[in-house]
Amino acid sequence: MFTIARTEWLKIKKYPAFWWVMGITALTYPGINSILLYQYYDLIEKQNAAGQVVKALLGNPFALPEAWKTVAYFSSIFVFIPAIVIIMLITNEYTYKTNRQNIIDGWSRKDFMTAKLMDVLILSIIVTILYTLVALVIGIANTTKAPSAKWTMAYYIGLFALQTFSQLSLAFLVGLLVRKSFIALAIFAFYFIMLEPIASNLIRVKLHSDIGRFFPLNISHKLIPRPAFIGRFDEKAYQATLDAVKYHIGYTLILIVLTWAFCFWINNRRDL
Amino acid sequence: MSVLTLQNISKSYGKIQALKNLSFDIPQGCVFGVLGPNGSGKTTLLSIILDVLKADTGNFLWFGQPGTPEQRKKIGSLLETPNFYHYLSAVNNLKITNSISGRGSANAIDDVLEKVKLYERRNSRFSTYSLGMKQRLAIAAALLGDPRVLVLDEPTNGLDPVGIAEIRELMIALNKQGHTIIMASHLLDEVEKVCTHVAILKKGELITTGHVNDVLVDDDIVEISADNMDALAAAVYNYRQDIKVTRDENKIQLIMPKGTSKLDEINSYCFSNGIVLNHLLFKKKRLEAKFFELTNN
Repeated sequence: MFTIARTEWLKIKKYPAFWWVMGITALTYPGINSILLYQYYDLIEKQNAAGQVVKALLGNPFALPEAWKTVAYFSSIFVFIPAIVIIMLITNEYTYKTNRQNIIDGWSRKDFMTAKLMDVLILSIIVTILYTLVALVIGIANTTKAPSAKWTMAYYIGLFALQTFSQLSLAFLVGLLVRKSFIALAIFAFYFIMLEPIASNLIRVKLHSDIGRFFPLNISHKLIPRPAFIGRFDEKAYQATLDAVKYHIGYTLILIVLTWAFCFWINNRRDL
Repeated sequence: MSVLTLQNISKSYGKIQALKNLSFDIPQGCVFGVLGPNGSGKTTLLSIILDVLKADTGNFLWFGQPGTPEQRKKIGSLLETPNFYHYLSAVNNLKITNSISGRGSANAIDDVLEKVKLYERRNSRFSTYSLGMKQRLAIAAALLGDPRVLVLDEPTNGLDPVGIAEIRELMIALNKQGHTIIMASHLLDEVEKVCTHVAILKKGELITTGHVNDVLVDDDIVEISADNMDALAAAVYNYRQDIKVTRDENKIQLIMPKGTSKLDEINSYCFSNGIVLNHLLFKKKRLEAKFFELTNN
């Protein structure tokens, strides 16, 4: 296992695209949350009546412990950025036929797929650490409550990690199936940004069905509900969303197992 | 002992059958050429023994054992095209080869790069290499850690004449040190100069296999000429029943079954018929001619 990890590190550590995208991710997560934080303060600091109403309605979503959820929610929207790296790491292997060279040099097909699983896992951990730091810094900077309350929603670190790993695994699957970088990136971006949100909303509005929550990305998307202030518009529905999280943990775990089982299976069957 | 044993290997791509029930052995210590025209199944065969492709039926044994990743780690291989990470240098690419296969070391990487004359460009990105340099790096990767068995698919592809000669000399030297080399090629000259054994494929079928001298040299050719070519031609037509005679302006070729030509007997036969030969030469049948004959091209 150590040899597999070391080999992947040899591949990644001098891959410029990896560092570029990681750099963009490192800027995006604090960046988007800082912009929203700035807008929040811009809104509540207005001395007129509207400003005071907004302040009473929103509370402070960037104070701990709520910041864990708020930052997780807004950060999770940008999972398609690390997904670019994941897709490139697998499609490059096909483009330059290095996957077959890895096998020729002595890896089994299972070793190759284990290496890619480790890539997705490690990237998920890096992104989660980034989220944790952003949530912690923003949260501490905006919190005035007693220290004991700060960590009550820290379980969102785990939920964020699970969601990221699940969604990056799906990005990997698209790359594995399509094998061409730009086509895979386009398909994933289109599905992530357009197709699944539109399809699930259409089904909900037109067919009055909640089946859209079982769509591949939505399964893990439901792990991190919208910030509490948005939920105030429909308290009952928001509570239902919160209650569904524990079920979606199970669904997400099942999806992850199925995704990787399919990846291993297809890689084992395929000619390289 | 056989290094590699193929047993009834078949492979299809849809309706196209690339390999048809292929069986043969590759003995230890030989340079084994897999020879055939384009599309004959050479690369498909090498891909199967390296587990890049799955055979539809049949199996193969490395040193009498079914193929495993652990066995592949001990085999230096170059398959079809040089496959490396385009953003990495030669050294860093070979570090990956070393990490996966366990063959070689940091010093060994420098040694193989020197051996293939790529040491000066060892820190340049693979994407900046010419085709010949890429091929040299692929050969360096195969040589890393001095594996006892090498599988090389068109090893001189993309190399200049000097490079081709160097790689041939390298293969001959490695074979003398006891390495077994399995090489696919469509270059007859290459096979003739380097290989000790050969298998000839045509449209996925094994036409013949064995020692190069047995497979590719099965006729004796004796070239003769005299001042009076007409008289010579008339005389040799009655020399033996089992020979074929061909004639051009300056010489006559007597094609006889392998091992049956006797130059002194021919000379004395002609002399007894009043003809003095001014040219008498024993020739092996050219590989090219034999290859065309075997593959019906």
